[in-house]
Amino acid sequence: MSQRQICPSWQPVMMVLKSSITSRLLMQWTDPMDYQFPQQLFPSFYNGGPPDFVLKHCAGNWGCYDRVIPQNFFLDQCMDAYGCMAEILGEPFEQAQMEKVGRNVLLSDVVPVVPVELLGSLLHEELTEQRDRSLFSEGATGGALAFIPFPRGGGDPQRGCLLYPGNQGLDCLNFQRVEMQHHRGSSSFVDAGSIDPLRFQLKGPIRQISCASLFDDCCVAVRSDRLCGVWRVGERNAPRLLQVIDTREVATCISASPHVLGEVLVATERGAANLWSVGRGMQKVREEDVNLYFNAKSSWRWCEFSAHPRVVTYADRTGVELTDVRESPVLSHTLFHIGNTSECRSGERLILSRYLGDIHPFQHLITTQYSAYIMDERFPCLPMLKWDHMMRSPPMFCHAVCGSTSTGSAVGGARTTKVLLGSQNSQEITLLQYSGGRAEASSSRGPLQALLRPRDSLKHLPVQIPHRLDLSTSRLSSPAAGLTCIQKKGIREADGEECICILQLTEAGDIFYQTLEPEQQDASKSPAAEDEPALKEATTSVRETARRLRLPQSQPVSSDASSDEDVIGPTQDKAVPVFVTETPEREQQALDTHSDSSPEGPEPQGKSCFRKQYGLQVVVNEEPDQVSGSNTEGLKDGEGVGEQPVPVKLSVGALTTWKRWLQKSRGKTPRPRWPQHFQVKTADLLLSENEASDPTEEERVQCLRRDLRACMSKRSLLVHGSVSASLQAPGAVAVPDTVDTEAWRDEVSHRLTLAWQGEGAWRAWWEERLGLNREEKVKALRRKRKREKEAKRAGGRRLELSGSFTSSVSYQSQLSDFSDSTGWSSTVDRGASSDTDGNQSQPEGFWENRKPRAMTPPPPSVSHTCTPVATSTGAELERGNQQTPSSVLDLSETPNHESAPANLKTPKHPEEDKLTALFAPQDEPSQPNSYFLEESTSHHPALHPPVALSSFQRSLRLDPSQNTSLRSCLSQSSQSRQVSQLKKKKSRMGF
Amino acid sequence: MDDLQREPGPLEDLEDDNDSSDNDSSKSKKSNLPVVYPMCAETPRETGFHRSTRACLEMIKEALLHHRWQEAAEYMACYPQLLEDPTNGKCQQYKELIWRFSAEILHHHPKSRMEDYNNIYERMKHSGVKHFLMISLEHCFHLLHHGHIEDAKHQLSVAESWRYGKESAAQYQKTKLIHAYRSLLDYLIWCDKKYTYSNKTGKMLEFYDNHEEALKVLTDYANDEGFPPNPNAQVYLYQYLKRRSASGRNLKKVLKNLHSIVPSHELMPEYSTMLLQSEKNTNIQKALGVVLDLLDFACWRSNLDVEDWRDRVAEKMAARKDWWPALHFTRFHASKDSEENPELMGVKAPLTKVLCPDLTLKYTAWPVTSAEGR
Repeated sequence: MSQRQICPSWQPVMMVLKSSITSRLLMQWTDPMDYQFPQQLFPSFYNGGPPDFVLKHCAGNWGCYDRVIPQNFFLDQCMDAYGCMAEILGEPFEQAQMEKVGRNVLLSDVVPVVPVELLGSLLHEELTEQRDRSLFSEGATGGALAFIPFPRGGGDPQRGCLLYPGNQGLDCLNFQRVEMQHHRGSSSFVDAGSIDPLRFQLKGPIRQISCASLFDDCCVAVRSDRLCGVWRVGERNAPRLLQVIDTREVATCISASPHVLGEVLVATERGAANLWSVGRGMQKVREEDVNLYFNAKSSWRWCEFSAHPRVVTYADRTGVELTDVRESPVLSHTLFHIGNTSECRSGERLILSRYLGDIHPFQHLITTQYSAYIMDERFPCLPMLKWDHMMRSPPMFCHAVCGSTSTGSAVGGARTTKVLLGSQNSQEITLLQYSGGRAEASSSRGPLQALLRPRDSLKHLPVQIPHRLDLSTSRLSSPAAGLTCIQKKGIREADGEECICILQLTEAGDIFYQTLEPEQQDASKSPAAEDEPALKEATTSVRETARRLRLPQSQPVSSDASSDEDVIGPTQDKAVPVFVTETPEREQQALDTHSDSSPEGPEPQGKSCFRKQYGLQVVVNEEPDQVSGSNTEGLKDGEGVGEQPVPVKLSVGALTTWKRWLQKSRGKTPRPRWPQHFQVKTADLLLSENEASDPTEEERVQCLRRDLRACMSKRSLLVHGSVSASLQAPGAVAVPDTVDTEAWRDEVSHRLTLAWQGEGAWRAWWEERLGLNREEKVKALRRKRKREKEAKRAGGRRLELSGSFTSSVSYQSQLSDFSDSTGWSSTVDRGASSDTDGNQSQPEGFWENRKPRAMTPPPPSVSHTCTPVATSTGAELERGNQQTPSSVLDLSETPNHESAPANLKTPKHPEEDKLTALFAPQDEPSQPNSYFLEESTSHHPALHPPVALSSFQRSLRLDPSQNTSLRSCLSQSSQSRQVSQLKKKKSRMGF
Repeated sequence: MDDLQREPGPLEDLEDDNDSSDNDSSKSKKSNLPVVYPMCAETPRETGFHRSTRACLEMIKEALLHHRWQEAAEYMACYPQLLEDPTNGKCQQYKELIWRFSAEILHHHPKSRMEDYNNIYERMKHSGVKHFLMISLEHCFHLLHHGHIEDAKHQLSVAESWRYGKESAAQYQKTKLIHAYRSLLDYLIWCDKKYTYSNKTGKMLEFYDNHEEALKVLTDYANDEGFPPNPNAQVYLYQYLKRRSASGRNLKKVLKNLHSIVPSHELMPEYSTMLLQSEKNTNIQKALGVVLDLLDFACWRSNLDVEDWRDRVAEKMAARKDWWPALHFTRFHASKDSEENPELMGVKAPLTKVLCPDLTLKYTAWPVTSAEGR
């Protein structure tokens, strides 16, 4: 490791050499076989993973090599496969790879096969695009949700046909007959009935649905990326596909004519707008390579019809032009120009332009990311109205509802038009209201109002466990994909009995709805006759908001919704009357005969099976929401403004829906695409009662039951011991032989063996190995020696001075052996300080040099006990010359420092003196004398030498000059040394 | 109602000052997606105070959008602390926000009083001098809305005499606007008649028998190239001329202009009648053209007067042959007309043969029999 760190630059060179050698070898080897050509023309790694590839995790991906024969590319051409990897790893990896192919399992996640630079640029590109798309995907402009009201149904309930995309890919067009039931005061809901929707499988995701109806017939134009289709549907006739065209370029807009059924405008990214008369072909209306007014760098185009059937609007991000198709070359004049409107902000762009033919024959709605405009095409460039819609993301969907001409007595029958703007990412829906445009000028009515969003509803729902919460949060907050509205007019218009139901589609395929109805209170209030309509409409607010959930159809429902009620705890309520209209089980619809494409399409087999089994396709239910409801209450009674919003209690129906939706959406979670588990039906494997005819078996079962009963009566546990006799399997697996630890003598085996003995042994091994237990060893050694000496003493009674002295000296040398490095360092330091001027600045360097040595102690040798003096190194000797004797003297004084000099000079008790001289340096109370034993306990001396040294080192590190003084101190007289020793000892004690 | 005061956006031209700096930089890295830039973006040097005021702004916005006026008012009470922040560079922008938000809240809060309005307006006027004119105008509207015409005029007079710094182009326009409104109020006080600026001038001049000048003003107004085409200017001129019983030729000229701008205008039947009266062949052709143009539009489809044309249609119809049948003469039109307007049906049914003799149309399909029986 350290070597590689030191010279890493050598490695690549080595690599190159090696690889060139290999290639040369290969060349030689292949030369004689020139006539051959490869059996496989393309490298096999395109379709095969590493041979021994085993995916360790379930994150999916490149392990999905279904039905592909594993190739040996990774073995055969290891340089190609692992060249870059080897460079990264910086070692001749291919060798190791050849030996241990298994390693690629470990590295498959981190070692790239695609070159890093290429991968990086591709990834960057992709991420940029994804980011742009997540911020704003213009393809969805217009919205893929539509409702066609059936005029004849009228009144109560409002019937119609709801068009929405289904499937996970949103590539299935559904025509669903629905009816909206609304009763004032009670809940209202959209009922899908028991009829399955008619489904048309398309070849791409549905981006936009535009429909226009004339009397009883309706033309539905559907845009996906490159294909556009037109259906015809009516109340009495089933949807019928009329024509499909391929636009070659990406289509950005489709718009069905409200004047002539079967005329459709299609705009493409190239800038062409075509008038498509279904069945008669296309007519190019206009084509622009560049943006209309300035270069907005956008290829998005939009066109709509206008009041005149042959005048169309042509829009891009910079403005809108009215184009007269009859003339050629086309005659255009500006309807809206982004820079020319007052208070236009920089960076403002046109998002959507919509002809409001149903509301007013000459009005257009134009939205930018900041504002919404009502334009009258008779007054071009002059907005009739402008709102700041305050939405967080640009409004891409809109729906305008014409208010009823209620209260005809009022001012000119002014009716309020409600414009709903929907944005994509933030799911916002904003309600704008205005009136006028005919006899009187347009004016807005009331402040704009934000409606509820699906993602807001979560906080009013029962708390879920975190992963389920995450799931439903992400599902509920997926971007919106469409917006439409069902308007229900009251039977008696004077009542103002009307409500609108706003449906919102998300990209996950769910449809949510909420109902708005005018406040009741206002009608009775009626402050002034002429003010009434305005007031009434202006205060239209969300009186009651219902929200329903609809699931896309063919999602695999993993479990029967009713069967796992217990799964979702908080929401369950068994007493709930099932509000849900649920389609019963049914086979493929006979009505599907109208579909030109297979309704099942490319779906896997399993899905259709599920679909048949659980035909719960439309879950329509109620989920009223809080905010506005309570707020309106507050407004109604006037003085209740200050009151806190009351937390709204969820209705039972809402909870039911929520639960059902949750279950369905959980069933929809993407599973890792792994081969299905092999399933074995266990019914056959388990022997039933009468089949278990084996008498011995029977007996055993009986026996077991008896035991169990006995245990129960005794209130004891049925432990294995009591059962094993009866349950013992006949052919028990033999216990493997015990491992002979002696046979495994290598280090790892040894360690493992020790590890089995418990943590203590294992730790001890490591300490031994790392030399951490040196001090204990020293202690042990001393104890051992002490015992030996005591034994000797017990034997010889009188200790010879010379022998003991020798042993003590040898011991001293052992100690200095231990502190060998320190000995060196002090000598070096001495040298350094001797030439004072040059080396003053170097102590750190010395210190560092010395450090590793100090850190790596000499192996704890067993030969401590008998190390003779002669083994000490030269440095030691040198030190010994200058220091050791004196230090012996010094240290000898430490135990009894008050009287030490006297003791030394006038030995009253020779034995004791001898012993003092002997043992004091070690502080070893080896004497039977109790005084020493008490004076310095056995643990103390062991610490002595290293600590003293460490204090030395510290002083060295601190200041070299101080060190010199210290050293000079050492060479001074014994008195002064004594003082310094005392100091040292004190510090040691503190240490 | 309150809509008089509904002003477009909280951020307008004032924002341009700082827009150039931060928006350009963000645009350079944000490609050219038309995304919404937040009202008050995060700045590099931020304190906790900035964060909390921004959060407060969000809360106000939420409350406003969901019509929780009381809550918004409570938040709004705290928000103006922002103005005391010395490190705030974009003070003007915040002042405008405060002005608009508080005005909006007051408009809808059930307990707001006139004094609150006056208080807020006066304070904001003198806090954000840049907005003085606009706030004055709004104040005036509010007073007008509550019938205090004299007070409103006083406000405008004050605003008119107000000067601040160097007059910018925008300021100039606003001053003009205030002038205009002030004169309008003068006029309103002068007479309680209908009001439209140009028309009023004409009427005033008319009142003083200055017909020549009135005509000139109206003609200029109608024909000025500098304005976007304004059909109403033509209408005013026409009405004036008619009132002065001008010659048919002049009237026709005005109406011809009008026709070129708005072929669907309600004066067009009058124009065609006028053309028909002249008895000249070309004029009759023109009249037919006018009527057919009218019929192109959805709003004229069920008008009885216009459908009364049977002759000299073939040449005009040639161009429309491919789509008119679908526009007017489908079975569904027939069924609808027969139910709602049998008389129209009676006119239209024979027309099918006249207009499109070579086509078989479904207009006389099954429901028609009953209608024709009448």
